[in-house]
Amino acid sequence: MSRRPQSGSTHRKLLLLFLRDLAVARSYRGAFVIEFFQALLGSASFYFLSRFVESPTLQKALPSGSNYFSFALVGIAFFDYLSTALVTFDSSLQEARQNGTLENLLVTQTSLPVILAGSSLYPFVLMSLRTAIYLGWGAVLFGFPLQGVNWLGAVLVLAASILAFSGLGILSASYLLIFKRGNPVNWAILGVSSVVGGMMYPVSVLPAWLQWVARLVPVTYSMEGMRAAILGHASLWELFPSIAVLLLFAAILLPISFAIFSWALRRTKITGTLTHF
Amino acid sequence: MVNPFALSLENVEKYFPPAASGWRALLHPFSGLTVPALRGISLQVKQGEVLALVGANGAGKSTLLRILTTLLIPTRGRAQVCGFDVAREPAKVRLQIGYHTGGDACFYSRLTARENLLLFAGLNNISGAEASRRIAELTSPFGLGDLLDRQARTLSTGNIHRLGLARAMLHRPSVLILDEPTRSLDPLAAAEFRRFLLRSIVGVHGTTMIFASHTLAEVEQLAGRIAVLDGGRLIACDTLASVKAAARAETLEGSLEILTRGAPRETQ
Repeated sequence: MSRRPQSGSTHRKLLLLFLRDLAVARSYRGAFVIEFFQALLGSASFYFLSRFVESPTLQKALPSGSNYFSFALVGIAFFDYLSTALVTFDSSLQEARQNGTLENLLVTQTSLPVILAGSSLYPFVLMSLRTAIYLGWGAVLFGFPLQGVNWLGAVLVLAASILAFSGLGILSASYLLIFKRGNPVNWAILGVSSVVGGMMYPVSVLPAWLQWVARLVPVTYSMEGMRAAILGHASLWELFPSIAVLLLFAAILLPISFAIFSWALRRTKITGTLTHF
Repeated sequence: MVNPFALSLENVEKYFPPAASGWRALLHPFSGLTVPALRGISLQVKQGEVLALVGANGAGKSTLLRILTTLLIPTRGRAQVCGFDVAREPAKVRLQIGYHTGGDACFYSRLTARENLLLFAGLNNISGAEASRRIAELTSPFGLGDLLDRQARTLSTGNIHRLGLARAMLHRPSVLILDEPTRSLDPLAAAEFRRFLLRSIVGVHGTTMIFASHTLAEVEQLAGRIAVLDGGRLIACDTLASVKAAARAETLEGSLEILTRGAPRETQ
């Protein structure tokens, strides 16, 4: 009567979880329209801010050929990938706890890491759509330069960034599993990254010791790589150092975060707090 | 060799850390497991048997069921489902079980009933075509056929429970685990749900069923044997007639009063 587990295809499960989130999002139709116009307002505010702050000193610190508007737009659009990576695993867990599906998901033939990975796909795809809309509005209305962009390089930097950021996101979810609320992991990573990562200003304007700290956070390499690919028209070879460091971060962070997550999950099954929030 | 027992528990104990909040929780996030929830539980359930867990709130019913679903790890002892150890072989255990709790919110409310079932079928390694076939096969006797394309949030509580049961049965589990399945149903809907369980599940698929309930009529109607828990201890596990005889009581309610009055209680 007893049966052996089948090895279900992980990619099909990831697709199912993505389609679940897409179907839920489609049921709130107005949200897409709001997102579209919110990006216009965001682009517009960066454009007018850039006209206010541009100066010869700033221009010297920017990559050649770019202006502050394009510099800030790329910084803000792609920094949001880090925010998404940090909150998506947390919010998947919280949502499943709140809508009562967590226990039902956990008794299926799908492991929690696959459930979390699948649940993060839609937010990343939405984030990419949002970034495209940001850049699109910027190009159409405010002169954001899209000529000569190394799209393949940008995609590779983005993929390596998502891998590295996901390691941090899984660490954050591990904290949430154990402590439930008030996530200092998120706060610390986002706080430090936003100060030293080069989102709104070049890392070169920071004091020397903060520039050293900037080298320890993955978002710095993500920002450098993205700007080099989009604004600096860098070749794949020129992007290689940024991509390599991001992959190194991923290679270190992902196994450590998975180990900590497994420990946290087992701990919640021992303490009986898995579904508490 | 075929394992005759669908469920087997040997001296299962479960302890939780003491509840803590504020500074105490912050300073001691990893307190020791000192609060007993289950103590020395040993029982077996044969394949095709229906066992009811009864006892007061906090007696350990849900804890026991959660151990069997792999959502909790026992502190000591061994629990097996169809011969697979819940702590060491959780994936194999999850293949054998279908689980449904009596809560109202256990689906994605903005998805249709069909989308919900297809999602959970896929997560249980059932292919799309096979899932559609099983959904059609299961939902017809469950009376859900016409409701499959409605969003879950528009379904009545009774239909949500039927949908929950359909989900639990999708991968044809050997053991069905139900935690207070009629908790949020009105008396008429609860009676209908019980009739439905008897008609469509118990004795039809040869499925072993273990369920926790506070509704004694439900227990009498569905269960072949009754396990009485009190303060985390198993104080009786037998047929309805034997439980009544042991307590020298006329009714199950009277039996529970007598059996739990004499049992040693946890003092904290």
